[in-house]
Amino acid sequence: MPVNTTLADTSNGLLLSTVILYALAMLCYASDFAFARHRVLAGVAGAAAPAGSPELAAMPELVTAGVGRHSAPPVKRTAGASGAPSAGAAAGLAAGSAGEAPASRWPSGFWLRLGFGLTCTGVVLHLAAILTRGLSEGRVPWGNMYEFIGAFTCMAVLVLIAASVWYRAYYMGLFVLLPVVFALGIDLTVIYTPAGSLVPALQSYWIAIHVTAMIVAIGLFIFGAVVTTLYLLADRSQRRLAAGQSSWSAGIWEHLPVPAILDRLSYRSVLFGFPVWTFGVMAGAIWADHAWGRYWGWDPKETWSFITWVVYAMFLHARATAGWRGRRAGWIHLAAFGCLMFNVIGVNLWITGLHSYAGMS
Amino acid sequence: MTGVSADDEVRAAEPDLARPAGQPGTGGSGTGAGGRRTGGPRTGRPLAGRLGRAGWLRWIWRQLTSMRTALILLFLLAVASVPGSVLPQEGIDPAAVTQYYQQHPSLAPVLNRLSLFNVFAAPWFAAIYLLLFTSLAGCVLPRAFRLVGSARQKPPRAPTNLARLPASATYATDLTPDAALDSAAGLLARRRFRLHRGDGWVSAEKGYLREAGNLLFHIALLALLFSVGVGGIWGYKANRLLIVGQGFANTPTDLDVFHPGRLVSPTDLQPFTINLTSFKATYVTSGPQLDEPIAYDAGMRYRAQPGGPAKFYMLTVNHPLVVDNVSIYLIGHGYAPVFKVTDGAGKVAWDGPVPFIPVQQTTLTSEGVVKVPDAQPYQLGFAGVFLPSAVDQSGQLESAFPGPLNPRVSLVAFKGNLGMNSGQPQSVYTLDTKGLKQLPITPRPLSAGQTEKLPGGAGSITYLGYQQWVSLAITYDPGQLPALISGIVALAGLILSFLIRRRRVFVRAVAGPDGGTTVSFGGLARSDAAGGFENEFAELTRLLRAEHDGRAMQARQVADGTAEVPADADDRERGEPSTRPASPPAVAAAATAITAEGDTETAAAAAAATAAATATAAAAVANPEMLTSPEEE
Repeated sequence: MPVNTTLADTSNGLLLSTVILYALAMLCYASDFAFARHRVLAGVAGAAAPAGSPELAAMPELVTAGVGRHSAPPVKRTAGASGAPSAGAAAGLAAGSAGEAPASRWPSGFWLRLGFGLTCTGVVLHLAAILTRGLSEGRVPWGNMYEFIGAFTCMAVLVLIAASVWYRAYYMGLFVLLPVVFALGIDLTVIYTPAGSLVPALQSYWIAIHVTAMIVAIGLFIFGAVVTTLYLLADRSQRRLAAGQSSWSAGIWEHLPVPAILDRLSYRSVLFGFPVWTFGVMAGAIWADHAWGRYWGWDPKETWSFITWVVYAMFLHARATAGWRGRRAGWIHLAAFGCLMFNVIGVNLWITGLHSYAGMS
Repeated sequence: MTGVSADDEVRAAEPDLARPAGQPGTGGSGTGAGGRRTGGPRTGRPLAGRLGRAGWLRWIWRQLTSMRTALILLFLLAVASVPGSVLPQEGIDPAAVTQYYQQHPSLAPVLNRLSLFNVFAAPWFAAIYLLLFTSLAGCVLPRAFRLVGSARQKPPRAPTNLARLPASATYATDLTPDAALDSAAGLLARRRFRLHRGDGWVSAEKGYLREAGNLLFHIALLALLFSVGVGGIWGYKANRLLIVGQGFANTPTDLDVFHPGRLVSPTDLQPFTINLTSFKATYVTSGPQLDEPIAYDAGMRYRAQPGGPAKFYMLTVNHPLVVDNVSIYLIGHGYAPVFKVTDGAGKVAWDGPVPFIPVQQTTLTSEGVVKVPDAQPYQLGFAGVFLPSAVDQSGQLESAFPGPLNPRVSLVAFKGNLGMNSGQPQSVYTLDTKGLKQLPITPRPLSAGQTEKLPGGAGSITYLGYQQWVSLAITYDPGQLPALISGIVALAGLILSFLIRRRRVFVRAVAGPDGGTTVSFGGLARSDAAGGFENEFAELTRLLRAEHDGRAMQARQVADGTAEVPADADDRERGEPSTRPASPPAVAAAATAITAEGDTETAAAAAAATAAATATAAAAVANPEMLTSPEEE
């Protein structure tokens, strides 16, 4: 299938514009931290309730305080007035809606709005870049390292947007876009591969299943790893302050939710990412069976996806184990992400195997 | 016994708020916590002397099945896999192992003794995963029994003070306590909670599928391991290099490489035959992707049984041929130059293609050897390089393209003893030059039809042209389908366990001193991995209030004589006699209570106060700093 070079050039231009927009969005998110008067935390509270976090579970007084409010003296008398039931029903409805959305889902403040708007515009261009690249080649646009990085960074930004809206994690914008911009910069300069066709081994509908699943999982894992890094730093700062020591980063954490909420957010991203990764590995095994005659052969890429899976499984187990949750689990999480990144980049660069079609030599 | 049970340890970390103070923990009473792994026995070593052999065994078993051990084993499994990806592996690339031996002659034997060239079949690797799976089985099976037990048991009694639960709300209604509990039980039953009704309270629990999903996942992993084992015992793997025009039968002697499973005998092989009729490779001829392959098509004629009908199949990458549950894959290809060798006696000692092995994948520069053991008076041997598209690169001949645009062969000739009768197994792709003497000919690139005369009357070699060959992988794996099913079940279990939360809610209704009823509603999620219990609780609170308010209104209307039909559609469906208007005693009681206390102004104030209280509760539910719900996975 001949490559449509006009479309391929369009794709390159779109991706470059995407990087610029992301970089501008980063500036806005940073400005929000610097200039905005409000604490981001206030907008965060509703969705990312830190249920189960050890820190808060260990604070019965908080629970009691909360309880104290709504176990106020019970209402003594109710009566058959015609107005009463509807008032009650209205209160119930109000309670319901209040429970779902105590604060607006959307960003507040000039810089945050601008940053979020730029992020969303950027991701639209990013998707357009991927689409035009695919159209120019007449195939799924994840056949080499250049395309793969372009795709999973896009997924990471989509996860950022989803988390921003669902969990009001707007505070993550700066920290997620930072590695994304960095990766895309390298992608466009060092790793860039011109549009082209696929080698026979990749000509299968399984590429759309296996690689797509991996892209989704990696996007989620990137988000989770960034949150965990923040969690570990914030936790460290908090412990230093609690111990009466100084913490250079204390000013940053004032703009972020408490560590427990970060911990929970990163956990959620793994909860989404882990089954997707599992599915991706399984789809890869099925494809390997079609292409190479065995579903598992300890090819370096397979081995490292297995190692990644095992270390993420360790994280999930550690998080459910007394004495391991919190900081230790956070470190395991980062180790798992390290394995993932080694699998994505290191195995392609340094180890030859059946997966060596990264287009890098 | 050490006295510290699994339950204690977990409970220490996750206070089981739902357990009423007066109720002893009966082995976790079916909650998830009961069956969980411990963080690790904190009792240390058992005291020697006090423990018998059974005690020791129990202690070891408990160590093995503890979560800490599982974590360590997972870690070891990950670390143990690393050398398998860094060092060359026998099972993947034996040639690379040989090369490693040549490059590191002193280190390689040491690594070999540690099974580091065969990591995934190494005893220590097996030890790790077998221990891990034993640990897993030891954890999962008791939990499975407990889950079955807990599915039979009722949810625990409601705690006395529901306000102490992570999520709670209180409001007033003018139903009687019993009527309020009846309708609450009905609401929760409709939402498929399991109920336990007591005096003045209702307990409800939901989400048992979470633990079931978790168990399913782990059991499916065990099944996956067994499936892999089945494939290793009853399956086989083979390789066959096949030149166009040639054929083979699926018997051990006719296969190049044959790795049978432990219980496979030669007669078990499916008796098909395959002939390669054509092979075509297509490459990119211009642009940045020059030399890259586009397609490989291997036409083959096969018979499932000898004498059976011959069928044709175009074998391509990603589309294996399946015969009799055996899959045949196209995994490689190359060139086989055709030679005719005439020996010193003037007899044709070799006439046919010789497969050369690509040493350079992008341009398919290939190397190979021609062994002519029948040549007289000396045996002859040739080592050659095949260039599919030879071009002169500043005096050096190279292949510029993988397709056969300008095929050339250059040869080095030897005479002497090939060493093929020494009893030592020999590779057909290398020449053992120990007993050979190189003949002084200047290598030159032969094109098809050209002949090289050998000095000293040793004979001649003619390059006639080329054939292509493919390498086929032949696999039979009866564990494949079970492995696939296990994988799908594992994934389903994983998703179930991540999506579903196990939660309990409790309702208590108490009659106030002046006729009203105070309903307190509380709940907690035992496992709320994906979050969202707060919202569910708020929604339940809203529904419960609406239900109670609705019923109270009906009751009033009945009392006032204005009621015609029940307002609540759910109520009609359910047809619960005790609270329907048609059921006189309850309604009469409620109506009496209301009329006795009837006072419009107070009622309005009360309703407002109730609304405020609910709003506070909802806000509290939504605010993470005010509430927590213990969670465990």
